[in-house]
Amino acid sequence: MSALPRPSDGLTRITIMQGETRISDDPSVILTTVLGSCISACLYDPLVKVGGLNHFLLAEPGSGDTDIQSLQRYGVYAMEVLINAMMAMGATRSNLKARIYGGASLRDGFRDIGATNALFARRFLRDERIALVGEDVGGTGARRVEFRPTLGLARCRVADTRPVEPARLRVAPPPPPASLGDVEFF
Amino acid sequence: MTFPLSNEGNPVPSTIMTVDDSPSMRMLLKAALTDLGYKVLEAEDGVEALERLGGVEPDLLITDINMPRLDGFGLIEKVREQDRHRNLPILVLTTESSDEKKQRARSAGATGWIVKPFHPDKLAAAIRRVLH
Repeated sequence: MSALPRPSDGLTRITIMQGETRISDDPSVILTTVLGSCISACLYDPLVKVGGLNHFLLAEPGSGDTDIQSLQRYGVYAMEVLINAMMAMGATRSNLKARIYGGASLRDGFRDIGATNALFARRFLRDERIALVGEDVGGTGARRVEFRPTLGLARCRVADTRPVEPARLRVAPPPPPASLGDVEFF
Repeated sequence: MTFPLSNEGNPVPSTIMTVDDSPSMRMLLKAALTDLGYKVLEAEDGVEALERLGGVEPDLLITDINMPRLDGFGLIEKVREQDRHRNLPILVLTTESSDEKKQRARSAGATGWIVKPFHPDKLAAAIRRVLH
């Protein structure tokens, strides 16, 4: 993550990389990320004016577990980290609204990873009864998303219409806790 | 893995109550536990879990920490206040991994701590360890 103040508009842009999650209740912050086949969910609670964004791919980094249940477990984990962080800042689950971006098409054998990511995100939000108020998913181009967490406003531009770079399932992005799935007895 | 992963074949399947405010998480857990041959009861937070525990005696409780109304810490404390559930094994399943929170769960009376996203084999091994 890097914070780049731009004196022109007085806003602070914070870049979120794959595997990261960031929330803020600062009106001068813009959360921004660049997406290929990955998904970003932008969540916000309009009542307490807090919002956040994640950036994930449906795979446990480095694990090689790419069966559908493993993918879902990782996606649910990525969403829960964001939701928990929002709740810790006073958001209420039932107030949450969501926008989703990314999921550009990428063929890897028979599976379209981007489409799988987008389907997961929509289904997750439906199952969790979180209102999906905007989306821009699919296609073949990379996207740049800018999200104002306190306002819930997002701008999404297709940055490049050339096919997206293959996301690498087995090259580890910043991982979840190293203790992933580990068990400790008291 | 050389150890048996399944509960199948047991005359009476063990019952596990899962407590998590996320329907997606409850579905994933139910699928994994059912595959292992366990019977699954569900609650969406600590309050509902306590209500359900008034009428059933599961063999194991698996609970999230961050939940509305009554969180996992509060649930564990309340369960341990009840004589009939004093020996009920309780596994925490959470995205949290700080020592401070683990210590809180331990003090409240938890049996163990598992970090999400769970791995089915590790979960199965942990369950077998506390059930047998």
